[in-house]
Amino acid sequence: MDSSDITTLEELKSYLYSAMQLEHATLPPYLVALYSIKPGTNLDATQIIRVVAVEEMLHLTFAANLLNAIGGEPDLTVPGFVPNFPTYLPDGEQEFLVHLAPFSRQTIENFLQIERPSLAPSGVNKLVARREHGPFLHLGTHPRQTTMRYYSIGDFYKAIEDGLVYLEGEAQKQGKTIFTGDAGRQITSQYYYSGGGHLHPVTDLATAVTAIRLVIEQGEGQTATIYDSQKELAHYYRFDQLIHGRYYRSGDAIEHPTGEPVSVDWDAAYPVKTDVKLADIPAGSELHQAAAAFNQAYARFLAEITEAYNGKPHKLMEAVAHMFEFRNAMTVLIRNPLPGSNGLYAGPTFEVSPEAAGAPQAGAESLEVVA
Amino acid sequence: MSQLEPFLAFSAEVTAFPIVELQGTGQAESYLQTVEDIVGTQRLDRLLVLYQSLPLATREDIRQARADRLRRDIFGSDELGPIARNIIKLWYSGTWYELPSAWTEAYGPAPQDVTFVVAPSSYVEGLLWTAIGAHPAGAKAPGYASWQWPPHIPPFAGDPAATPR
Repeated sequence: MDSSDITTLEELKSYLYSAMQLEHATLPPYLVALYSIKPGTNLDATQIIRVVAVEEMLHLTFAANLLNAIGGEPDLTVPGFVPNFPTYLPDGEQEFLVHLAPFSRQTIENFLQIERPSLAPSGVNKLVARREHGPFLHLGTHPRQTTMRYYSIGDFYKAIEDGLVYLEGEAQKQGKTIFTGDAGRQITSQYYYSGGGHLHPVTDLATAVTAIRLVIEQGEGQTATIYDSQKELAHYYRFDQLIHGRYYRSGDAIEHPTGEPVSVDWDAAYPVKTDVKLADIPAGSELHQAAAAFNQAYARFLAEITEAYNGKPHKLMEAVAHMFEFRNAMTVLIRNPLPGSNGLYAGPTFEVSPEAAGAPQAGAESLEVVA
Repeated sequence: MSQLEPFLAFSAEVTAFPIVELQGTGQAESYLQTVEDIVGTQRLDRLLVLYQSLPLATREDIRQARADRLRRDIFGSDELGPIARNIIKLWYSGTWYELPSAWTEAYGPAPQDVTFVVAPSSYVEGLLWTAIGAHPAGAKAPGYASWQWPPHIPPFAGDPAATPR
């Protein structure tokens, strides 16, 4: 047994919680970049980022289904679930920071790093000592050995897949199963629509492995092919099209798209202040109130999603409607100049604390406490 | 000097939407440009200077005096009133409405003064959708089944039914 292997059900649950945290953590950066694009411009980029973001939402829900299938309780309201941006992600031997930043070439290159396909080469340990020890969250950290992290997100997910297979194999030997979760807690396509792929319930090893592979293939690409088994472009190559200014088409070699041109106007975006915080916005201003209100709405949304993932799947519909409302709130923040910042713009800060979820409108200052 | 700041201040008072929301539409610069192009910078400047000279509404009695002056000096003006009303309509619908012919006869010509939608995004960003708790057809989709919940009507300044902002 390698120390990177999952050998208990409790460990598997903590990995799946980390997987939810990881999938969720990609959303704020993708959404800030998406909504920073000026209306009517960068239509190709808008579509590409939107589709990737929606697939990340699907992955988050799949992680919740996996956790529910083995008797876990998905909780997106745990303090620290939402990173205080920037946040670290692993990239082989290196670690890099993921920022909340406007649409730009640099931001898309940051997204390419997030989605870069990489697995530890054979012979290289899948667990690597963390290099950076700053104040920011490290995604891909080993749930127990917190000074260690996975070589890549692909390795992290591979550990989950191997753990599922191993633990179910052990259980079967004793005539048992690890898939003891209530099937009524599964989110299915009945509650989740147009979400970047078919959402199936996870009830046994076969459906669990299908779910985890879909997450790996759509996301980190892991295999050396551009298209996944559903004949869809992996996220890395979707973003890569913006850098190359050209769409991939079937048969293309990696890094050499030969399809229709993609027109990109890197300047047609609101210059949102990178990793903007509530503290950057003048206290007491309308803008500060709007930013604090957004964080409250976001905290409420996470609480609603948690409820939906814990036996009330029908609640997802209402949560999604609220998601569309705060989408509008995000665009409002992004289009407002940030006073005293030399021409930068405000944006959603995603500073979410448990207090924010239930707190009344007053006391906006207390929202600056970051979970 | 840019007239954006006084234009936004005037717009916020006459639309009853906060400046943050107006900026949030992303249309402020293009609306200002539209008004300047059609009625001329000098005429708009006069409206905004007049607006800035109104008494500040720090007390209830002054608030009334301010509202009266706004009504009389700007909305009651043959020259500036139609422009002020058009600015409200711009924000609410994203559309510039052709000025009344009496205005053009007295203060024209205004060759660009025809009814038009300022930009595809200005239709989407019209305040009327927010004001009625709806969304523009074909954009800003509110999510499946959202129609089963009551609309969210935002409180606005001076609304007796609303809690103060």
